[in-house]
Amino acid sequence: MSDRTSEPERRSSVDRRTFLKRAGAAGAGAVIASRLQAPGSAAAQDATVRPDPPAKRGGTLRYGVHTAPAHFDVHQSGTVANIGAQSPMYDTLLRRSPKDGQTIIPDLAWKWEISPDGKKYTFHLRKGVKFHDGADFTAEDVKATYDRIAHPPKGVVIPRTPLFATVGDIVVVDPHKIEFRLTEPRPKAFMLGAFASGWNIIVRKKTLEENQGNLRQVMAYPGTGPFKHVSRKDKEVWIMERNPDYWNKGLPLVDRLEVYHMMPFSAELGSAFLSGKLDYARLLDPVSWRKAKEMSGVTAAAFNQSVIQAVWMNMKKKPLADVRVRRAMHLAMDRHTLVEVVKDTAPMQVGGFVYPFHEMSTPRAELEKKLGYQKDIKPAVQEARRLMKEAGYGQGIKGLDFVVRDANTFKLWAVAIQAMLKEHLNIECNLRVVQISQWFDEVGGGNFDLGISAIVSSLMDPSDYFSAWYGKDGPQNYSYWTNPGFHDLANQIERELDDNRRKTMVRKAEDILEQDPPLIPVSYEQIYDAWYNKVKGQNPSTYFGIYDVVRWDQVWLA
Amino acid sequence: MRKYLARRAVYAVVTLLGVSLSVFVILRILPGDPLVAILGVEGHAHMKPADRARIMADLGLSDPLPVQYVRWLADIGAGRLGKSFFRGDTVAELIAHRGPISAEIGVLAFIVSWLVGLPVGILSAFKPNSLPDGVARALSVLFIAIPGFWLGMLIVLALLFWFGYKAPIVIVHLWQNPWQNLQIVIGPAAVLGLAQGAYIARMSRSCLLEVISEDFVRTARAKGLREGLVVMRHALPNALLPVITISGVLLGFVLGGSVAVEQAFGVPGLGRALVTAVIERDIIVVQNLVLLYAVIFVVVNVLVDLSYGWLDPRIRYG
Repeated sequence: MSDRTSEPERRSSVDRRTFLKRAGAAGAGAVIASRLQAPGSAAAQDATVRPDPPAKRGGTLRYGVHTAPAHFDVHQSGTVANIGAQSPMYDTLLRRSPKDGQTIIPDLAWKWEISPDGKKYTFHLRKGVKFHDGADFTAEDVKATYDRIAHPPKGVVIPRTPLFATVGDIVVVDPHKIEFRLTEPRPKAFMLGAFASGWNIIVRKKTLEENQGNLRQVMAYPGTGPFKHVSRKDKEVWIMERNPDYWNKGLPLVDRLEVYHMMPFSAELGSAFLSGKLDYARLLDPVSWRKAKEMSGVTAAAFNQSVIQAVWMNMKKKPLADVRVRRAMHLAMDRHTLVEVVKDTAPMQVGGFVYPFHEMSTPRAELEKKLGYQKDIKPAVQEARRLMKEAGYGQGIKGLDFVVRDANTFKLWAVAIQAMLKEHLNIECNLRVVQISQWFDEVGGGNFDLGISAIVSSLMDPSDYFSAWYGKDGPQNYSYWTNPGFHDLANQIERELDDNRRKTMVRKAEDILEQDPPLIPVSYEQIYDAWYNKVKGQNPSTYFGIYDVVRWDQVWLA
Repeated sequence: MRKYLARRAVYAVVTLLGVSLSVFVILRILPGDPLVAILGVEGHAHMKPADRARIMADLGLSDPLPVQYVRWLADIGAGRLGKSFFRGDTVAELIAHRGPISAEIGVLAFIVSWLVGLPVGILSAFKPNSLPDGVARALSVLFIAIPGFWLGMLIVLALLFWFGYKAPIVIVHLWQNPWQNLQIVIGPAAVLGLAQGAYIARMSRSCLLEVISEDFVRTARAKGLREGLVVMRHALPNALLPVITISGVLLGFVLGGSVAVEQAFGVPGLGRALVTAVIERDIIVVQNLVLLYAVIFVVVNVLVDLSYGWLDPRIRYG
């Protein structure tokens, strides 16, 4: 109270000279502060995407990626069919740098702060940003977007909702400042990764209100992104043009973007690229990619993707409930051969239960010394046979129902795995090939013994998928697996803020999963891209997945 | 004639009702969840029962099956073909955009089949057991035996690897750019046409062999007519009826074959749309496209039947 009463007196004591000094100091402070890193923020905060110095403007980029989206709601999607075609029309709060695909840099938020207790994320939003329909972008749009992602309305299913499970209140401080208040802290890298995920595009509050929160059948809802919708021919092409009012002046660099919808790993995509009908192709099949690599004037790159290919074992069925049987089956896999089996169909790599290329997982060289991952599989098979004998199945198991998802890779693997199980452990399986929609019916309903398919995570961070893939009642824990020790540890990993301690815990979790496998890791997907050398400004070789750097704003044509 | 037409119309309606009921029931009893395709694997995994109920209700799939069936027929009656479950595009738009390409392929395949099949059949019939007859018969067996989609893939790969060529990757209509349009349709039309041409060659050969041993052909020759006139004016018209009949039936093969051949050539026609819709479990699109194919098949066969009267005046419709 006394402070308040004295405030006018203090003000009255400010003379002209003092005022000018203070104003000057405040001005200088503001300038310096704007150059300094904000508390808790990355050094990357001043790294908004800028055009390459030699970049030229103009031209049409013809990009081939995936089949057409099943619907238009990017938030509700889990496939690159949406993000590949639609992302150029939208922005996110933060993004991954297109230079390396990993560093988190500003996007619609030009600056951010994280409170020391890790429970408050404050984002400072850019001013003067407009949606494609001319409306101003404000913090209300960010709030509406994230309220929807974190707490979707009924009938709206958003795979990224679990990333924001700890987001309590989202508070608009002013039209260009917003706070996310967490009920409990999460690792910084995890939260910032979630905000920088390419899936979490910012949409207008009004758009969501007008469509009752469901954009599945709304084709071209306005974004703030570098490209604007022009036209779309279903299952053929989506055409976009340069947004002349884009907030990031000088970007995008190409005038027109044509996104062609083609099946991933298909001969159709490969032939369209090799015949020069596309400038850039993503998800090429290995044969076309190798051919592209040999062509002059073409660059081909391989990079990692957040997809695991695996066999699930129904633990509700007696032999598979036995941890020794599951471990034996895990050890009986010749993983290097499995990668070889599909080498002309899809690019794959050997891995365990954590993304093999992630900083927290066991390094590849170390992994390949472990049983089950060695090139010489004899020791692993020997141990597998010992375990089967110990479990009372030394003579093998007959008649396992092996549900195979109808795709070339799974069909090839299923036959190879069937042979490996028979040869190494005398386990006999009957293959049952079903369409993808039936696979999830059968496996989700527990009507299987073994099932082969692939699942994906939004982030590479183990906390994103430990609960979904391996968590008790996790939505993709198709084996019905439980291990209290693992669940406790996963819970701790989710809350541990120290990176080194987290890493140690993740390694411990890997050990648990090795001994008590919730699934049989078959391999991890890679992505094959190729582009004609006239396409400049993007090289995905170090990218993690295809869900974050998908904007094409920095790409230019020589 | 009118009575005949009315009777055929009734049969056609009954046939189409049967097709509609079959496709409706089959699509409902087929295993598989359309929501996997709509929401994707990840979305499907995170879906709660309440979300499922809401989405199924929105799609009209939670109503009793008889209600869904009657609603579909009523929609067709009112000229509405419904919307894709997924993106909300109407089936009418889909047919309007992709139908012309598939129709062109069908018509061109028909023309190719006659242009190739009939001369080969005539040649074989008038020089039986000669070398040309042997070659023609071997080729016709080959084209009947080779699956169209496989031949299509070979052609696509050969053109790509030898000439670096691929047909346009999006639909270009005839009225937009005839040359590009031809590049899209010629491959599938040739593959489908050659297969049908093989059937026509075999059928026309055997019919002609039968006809040329008839008295009226011998009489025509005895009159001193040239061999060409004997064939064109006397033998061929009498041998054509079974060939026309088989041509109508073959249209069914063209329609069915186009599904796989369009896929092999990467032509975005109706056949390809049907394949995608089946994979996606886009029920509304599948049932309307199957019904459209059935309508085409029924109409063509009625036209074939009617053409008998024109080709052979002895035939009367009662």
